Amino acid sequence: MIISSAPMRISFAGGGTDLPDFYTRYPGRVISTAIDKFIFIAINHAPYTNHVAARYSLSEEVSHPSELKNTRIREALLDLGIEKNIEIGSFAPIPARTGLGSSSSFSVALLKGLYAYIGKKLDKREIAEAACRLEIDLVKEPIGKQDQYAAAFGGFNMLQFNPDGTVDVEPVLLDYKKRMALESHLILFFLGTTRDASSVLAEQKANTQKNFETLKRMSDSVPVLKEALLHADFKSAGEMLLEGWTMKKQLASAISNPGIDRLYEIALDCGAWGGKVLGAGGAGCLMMLAPLERRAAVVETLTAGAKAEGFEAACEIPVGFVQTGAEIVVNSYGR
Amino acid sequence: MEQFIQEFSQKAISLLCNLPKVEIAKAMNILQAAFERDGRIYVIGNGGSLALATHWVSDFNKTVFSHNLEEHQRRFQAIRLPTTEEELTAWANDVGYEMVFAGPLRNYIQDSDVLIAISSSGNSENIVRAVELARANKVPVIGISGFDGGRLNALSDAKIMIPSNRGEYELVEGIHAIVLHIFTKYFKEYFDHVLLLRKDREELHTATV
Repeated sequence: MIISSAPMRISFAGGGTDLPDFYTRYPGRVISTAIDKFIFIAINHAPYTNHVAARYSLSEEVSHPSELKNTRIREALLDLGIEKNIEIGSFAPIPARTGLGSSSSFSVALLKGLYAYIGKKLDKREIAEAACRLEIDLVKEPIGKQDQYAAAFGGFNMLQFNPDGTVDVEPVLLDYKKRMALESHLILFFLGTTRDASSVLAEQKANTQKNFETLKRMSDSVPVLKEALLHADFKSAGEMLLEGWTMKKQLASAISNPGIDRLYEIALDCGAWGGKVLGAGGAGCLMMLAPLERRAAVVETLTAGAKAEGFEAACEIPVGFVQTGAEIVVNSYGR
Repeated sequence: MEQFIQEFSQKAISLLCNLPKVEIAKAMNILQAAFERDGRIYVIGNGGSLALATHWVSDFNKTVFSHNLEEHQRRFQAIRLPTTEEELTAWANDVGYEMVFAGPLRNYIQDSDVLIAISSSGNSENIVRAVELARANKVPVIGISGFDGGRLNALSDAKIMIPSNRGEYELVEGIHAIVLHIFTKYFKEYFDHVLLLRKDREELHTATV
C-alpha cells in the first residue's frame, strides 16, 4: 500500500488573481500558508480483483476507471493509464468544501501517490503542475492554480502567477516566534456549512473583465501584506484583510451573504482587526485576526452569533502552520 | 604575529556580516518540514567537514532538546553517513572513494528525508554523487559550501555558500561551524518556546476549569 498526504491551506489575500483571465494580463499574487490539517490518500494494489475501487464520501466499485463518478480519480487514472487492480481511499479531518483548499490537496496527494504507484518520483513543482493539469485541463474545473501549489509546496509562501503561465514560489520567511504569534492571533471559525466552489468561481471568472481593476489592487496588496506579516504587525495585517474582504465581495454575488456579513460585523465590534471568508466564498470558514486579549471574546461572540444565524455546527478549529507539503507517508511497494 | 591574527579575523568578520541569510532560513524551513514528517537528516562531508557533520549530529539530536529531554516525544533523527569507519573503508576499498557517501545513503534514503552536504570546494566527487542520488529521489538538499560553491551549490535547494578564495579552508570551515550552530540554536529556542506556550495554555486551562 501507498499512503500519501497533502496539507490544506489558509489563503490570506489575492484569491481570484490566480485565474488565467487575469494573470495573462497582469501578474497575479496570493499569500497563503499550509496548515496542520491533511488529506490522506491510500492506494492499494489488488491484483486478484479486476475492479477499480474509489472510497471517499461515496464508495464506488467499477470495472473501468471511465465509469467512476469521482472526476479527479477518474481523470487521473485514465491519464496515467491505470485501468484495473487498484483501490483508492481518501481520509480527512475536516469535511470537503470548507474553503481550506481541500479539493486541490486531494488532487495533489492523489497524484503524489499514483506517481509513486507507477514508480515515479515527482518534486514539489512537478506535482503542483500535474495537479493543475488534472483539475483545470482534464476535469475542467473553473479554478485557479494557488491551491495546488500551496498543497504541493507546503509552508508559508507568496505565489506569483506570471502571464506566461509560470508560477514563482517565494517563501515568507517568518521565524518561529512570529509564526507562532500569528497562529495565536488567528481565529479559524468553521461555519458548519459547505458550498461548491465552482459555482462561485464560475461567476467570478465571468466577471474578470469587469473586476480587472479590483483584482489588480488585490494582487498589488499581497506584497504589502507580506511585509506586515514579516514585521509581526498583525494589526495592520488584519486591517488589510478587512480591506481585501471588502474588495473580494465585489467580485461575485455569492461570495458573502447577510448571515456571514452580520458575523463579520459582530467580530469587528468585539475587537477583531479584520478577516475574510476562506476559499471561493459563500460559506466554509471565517478567518479573523484579533488582539490576543480579545481573542477568547471574539470566539465566544462568533459562536453565539453563528447559532443565532442558524449555523448549528459552527465552531472554532484550532490550527497551526506547517512546512510540510505533499509527502509519501508509506510505500510498501519499495522506494 | 598580531597582524596575522587581525587579518584573519577581519576576513572572518566580513564573511559573517554577509552570511546568506535567506538561504540559511530556507534550510531551517527544510529541517522544520523534516521534523514535522518525522524524516531523517543525513549529513556528509570529507575531513574537517566530516568532523563538523559529526559535531552537528550530536547537537541536533540531543542538545536541541536538552532543556526538556523527556518532554519531547518526537526528536530529530540526524545521521552522519557513513555511520561507521568500517562502512567508510569498505566502500572506499571495494568500490571506490567516490561512493563512500552515495553507497550508504542508498541504503537509508526515503521520500521524507533531507540531505545536508558540507564541502568547501563544492566539487568533491563523493559529495556530488550523494547529492545527485538525493536529487533523483526528490529529497531536498541543503548545500553548505565555500569558494565559488562548485557543483554542490548549483545542485542544492538551500544554497549556503561562503564566498571565498580557493584554498581558504580555515575560514570557510570556521564559518560553516557557525552556520550549523545557527541551526542548533534556532531549534533549541524554538522547542523551548513550544513548551512554554504549552505550559501557558495548560495553566490557562486549569485556571478556567
